[in-house]
Amino acid sequence: MGSFSLNYLLRRLLVFFLTIWVAATLMFIIPRLAPGDPISAMIARMSQFEGFVENADLIIESWRKRFGLDDPLYVQYFRYLGNTLRLDLGYSMGNFPATVAELVGRALPWTIGLIGISTFIFFTVGNLCGALLAWYKSPKWLKVMIPITMSFTSVPPALLSLLLVYIFAFQIPIFPELNAYGRGMVPAFTLEFIGSVLYHGFLPSMSIVLATFGYWALGMRGMLVTIEGEDYMILAQAKGLKPFYILYRYMIRNAILPQMTALTLSLGLLINGSVLVEIMFTYNGMGSLIYASINTLDFGLIQGTAFILIVSSALAVLIIDLSYPLIDPRISLEGR
Amino acid sequence: MSERKTHESDRVVLSVDNLRIHYATPQGDVIAVSDISFELYEGETLGLVGESGCGKSTTAYGILQLVQPPGYIVHGSIQVDCTEVLHLEEEELRKFRWTGLSLIPQGAMNSLNPTMRVKDQIIDVIESHEGKQNDREALRERIFELFQNVGLPNRIYNMYPHELSGGMKQRVCIAMGVALHPTVVIADEATSALDVVVQRIVAQTLVKVKDEIGVSLIVIGHDMGLLAQIVDRIAVMYAGKMVEIAPVENVYANPLHPYTQLLIDSIPSIKERKPLKITEGITHDPRNPPSGCIFRLRCPFAWEHCADAEPPPFNVEDKHEVACHLYDEQFEERRTNALATLANP
Repeated sequence: MGSFSLNYLLRRLLVFFLTIWVAATLMFIIPRLAPGDPISAMIARMSQFEGFVENADLIIESWRKRFGLDDPLYVQYFRYLGNTLRLDLGYSMGNFPATVAELVGRALPWTIGLIGISTFIFFTVGNLCGALLAWYKSPKWLKVMIPITMSFTSVPPALLSLLLVYIFAFQIPIFPELNAYGRGMVPAFTLEFIGSVLYHGFLPSMSIVLATFGYWALGMRGMLVTIEGEDYMILAQAKGLKPFYILYRYMIRNAILPQMTALTLSLGLLINGSVLVEIMFTYNGMGSLIYASINTLDFGLIQGTAFILIVSSALAVLIIDLSYPLIDPRISLEGR
Repeated sequence: MSERKTHESDRVVLSVDNLRIHYATPQGDVIAVSDISFELYEGETLGLVGESGCGKSTTAYGILQLVQPPGYIVHGSIQVDCTEVLHLEEEELRKFRWTGLSLIPQGAMNSLNPTMRVKDQIIDVIESHEGKQNDREALRERIFELFQNVGLPNRIYNMYPHELSGGMKQRVCIAMGVALHPTVVIADEATSALDVVVQRIVAQTLVKVKDEIGVSLIVIGHDMGLLAQIVDRIAVMYAGKMVEIAPVENVYANPLHPYTQLLIDSIPSIKERKPLKITEGITHDPRNPPSGCIFRLRCPFAWEHCADAEPPPFNVEDKHEVACHLYDEQFEERRTNALATLANP
């Protein structure tokens, strides 16, 4: 097993915070480049319903003052950075007086749950399927079935969720088509509620898994074909080891390393895909929140949600990175 | 060499009979090993030499039942202690491997699993043949003893292959190869990738371990000098055929086959700089070997008869067999002339 030094850990943490700082800065700049401002947009929307808004100018002015939008840009920027450091992401302008932290705090567990479980399933299933495709002892019917199932890989997850909803919620109504848990239920740690969450989460996570696992199966199979030609594979055979033992200890064990690297690289893309899936299912996670915040030009919420997503994917990459010496003995994270 | 003991046993532990191995290609089958037969006696070290592509490694992998596709065994018989290897079922073959025949591989650099500790790679071979070892202390002692046999320090027990030098990896492979006291060990160019000093140490380790444990050994190589020091008998292969097999002293002092003569002549000498007599590699297309003798296209003594009939092995002296028409009784005169030209070129 490799080892890692404090020196490496510190350097890696520095990179982590640097990533977050760059992300935070971009989050600050980009919404301000978009045309319009959220307060005028809100007043405009109000006046659509009411016909006209009394003292609109005064309202706009007082709100701009309240949210600090009249200050010079750099003052806004440093205030924003300071607040971000304290994880104070400000108020949501669209859902005032709810804070961004509150909204994100409510949505984040759903998304982490959905993506976490889906990732676990597609990574396991995908690699297993790939291994079975490459293994000489796996049954014939599997080698026919897996590639057929893998044809879903070229379909984006959001489109696949439409298909799944159509088949399994409308044609054969066995799964709910909307929401993350049963109507009228109060979130609590009860068996009934958890069951309902899993039941509702099945179709969304299936659409992510089906759209993704083939990619991992192909990667795994490709790696195994390469590994089969290695000298240590011939020796393993000559040693008279049991075939299944060779498969997992000599083949998969060595092929999983590049797969882990690919997983870290694909995390960002995965989160993008799941945003659309959440919208399809009105799943009350980060995806739906981002969607709503963009619709209402809710600066605070856009910044907050995107920022939290970036932090969580950077954190996931950091964790996988630091666990590398545990899975590959040749890598030791010692400061050189 | 003084360190070599000649063996005396007449018991045959491995007998290869009429073995033929082809590689399938779109243009037809390449004949890699063409109907070779030989025997290995108990406690003996047999050297298998020949130039690259002559089929020596393929022969080894054929004996081990490890010919990789598109290669396949056409026919033949391989018996180890009266077990017919070619007739074993999959599970029987798995159990037979390493207890009957073990391999010290060619590319020791990559022959160890990079993600497993050295000890685990030796333990897995012990446990997959002898079942789960509950006495871990005894298991560790057993592995330390193997390490000691091949001159490895105990500290590598918990190391990974990338932490070892090339020579150490090769010795791990030797320790692994004799771990179950197999009947026959095949060392496939076990020293080729090492520098000369380490080569020598590894070769001596190989012979020492072989004598201590009492296994029979086949050493495959192309380094005639190194082989001369460690083997009892030498078999010379050319283009899939075995052309000469004899005790090592006879081969070096009195090579009979014209190919062996050229091969021994090509050993570089430090005293004189002589031109290489044998220049190009195997010249014929291995899909369509020439009629008659396989070597006739390059043989300095070939005549019409060589194209007509394939030479059978002639028993010239005790245990010295050669497949060349020159040693047929009826061509004695031709042989005398040929040997004369060889003596005074």
